Amino acid sequence: MKAVNFTAILSLLLLLGCQAKAPGRLETAMADQVKRRLTVGGKSDKNPLPESVETVRTGQRNFSQYCLVCHGLDGQNTGVPFADRMDPPVPPLNSSAVQAYTDGQLKWIIDHGIGPSGMPASKGILNDEEIWAIVRYIRHLPAKGSLGEPKVYSGEQ
Amino acid sequence: MKKLILSTLTLAMLIAMGIGIHAGAQGAPRVIDITAKRFTFTPNEITLKKGEPVILELTTADVTHGFYMKKLGIDEIIEPGKPTQVNLTPQNPGRYVAICDHFCGSGHGNMNMTIVVE
Repeated sequence: MKAVNFTAILSLLLLLGCQAKAPGRLETAMADQVKRRLTVGGKSDKNPLPESVETVRTGQRNFSQYCLVCHGLDGQNTGVPFADRMDPPVPPLNSSAVQAYTDGQLKWIIDHGIGPSGMPASKGILNDEEIWAIVRYIRHLPAKGSLGEPKVYSGEQ
Repeated sequence: MKKLILSTLTLAMLIAMGIGIHAGAQGAPRVIDITAKRFTFTPNEITLKKGEPVILELTTADVTHGFYMKKLGIDEIIEPGKPTQVNLTPQNPGRYVAICDHFCGSGHGNMNMTIVVE
């Protein structure tokens, strides 16, 4: 009887973790360190594309293939209704946490995704050239809201 | 005499035509048809000769695709119903991988073909 009660209570406590809500500061900090130091690869890979307006524009165009449905057109979640309700939430890509990754790490994240999170792997869906251009765009994101909302959410046909 | 002149002229004309045809045949570049369709190019590998001018005739069987190989100076878009011609005279032997650089769906990232230059 005692064992059953204990098991029931323990299970309920564990299931509390199944809520989709924003992680606390400690959890976020731990996850950030694990990603940055351990699990995300590509740290020393260099972006082969030039640092130019054209590359950034190409990156923006590539970004709009489908990155925008979670990240918004501006990479800062503008118009994405669920961005802050994911667990972990979609970070603004101009945040210091994201910008602190190297170019190679950003490429790795786009290639392989991040688990556990909603960030999917795009290797084989976007090619290397496209992803490197997206990395350049991430380094030169426009002002928040300046590009409007993704059409898929704004109700425009 | 007349016969001789006539036959010489005819022979000269035939030789001139022959040279003309021969020169023409050498001058007309080989045309290679390449079809893009999600998510492959067909043929998937072609072999060209260094210095030989060729025309790549690009068409798509479904959606818009791209065709990009920087080192060969190729950067084209292939739109449905609009064949794209690429004039190419490769100068450097090697294996070149041309990719689709217009997002065409889930397999787009792996859509490519090989151009071998001998």
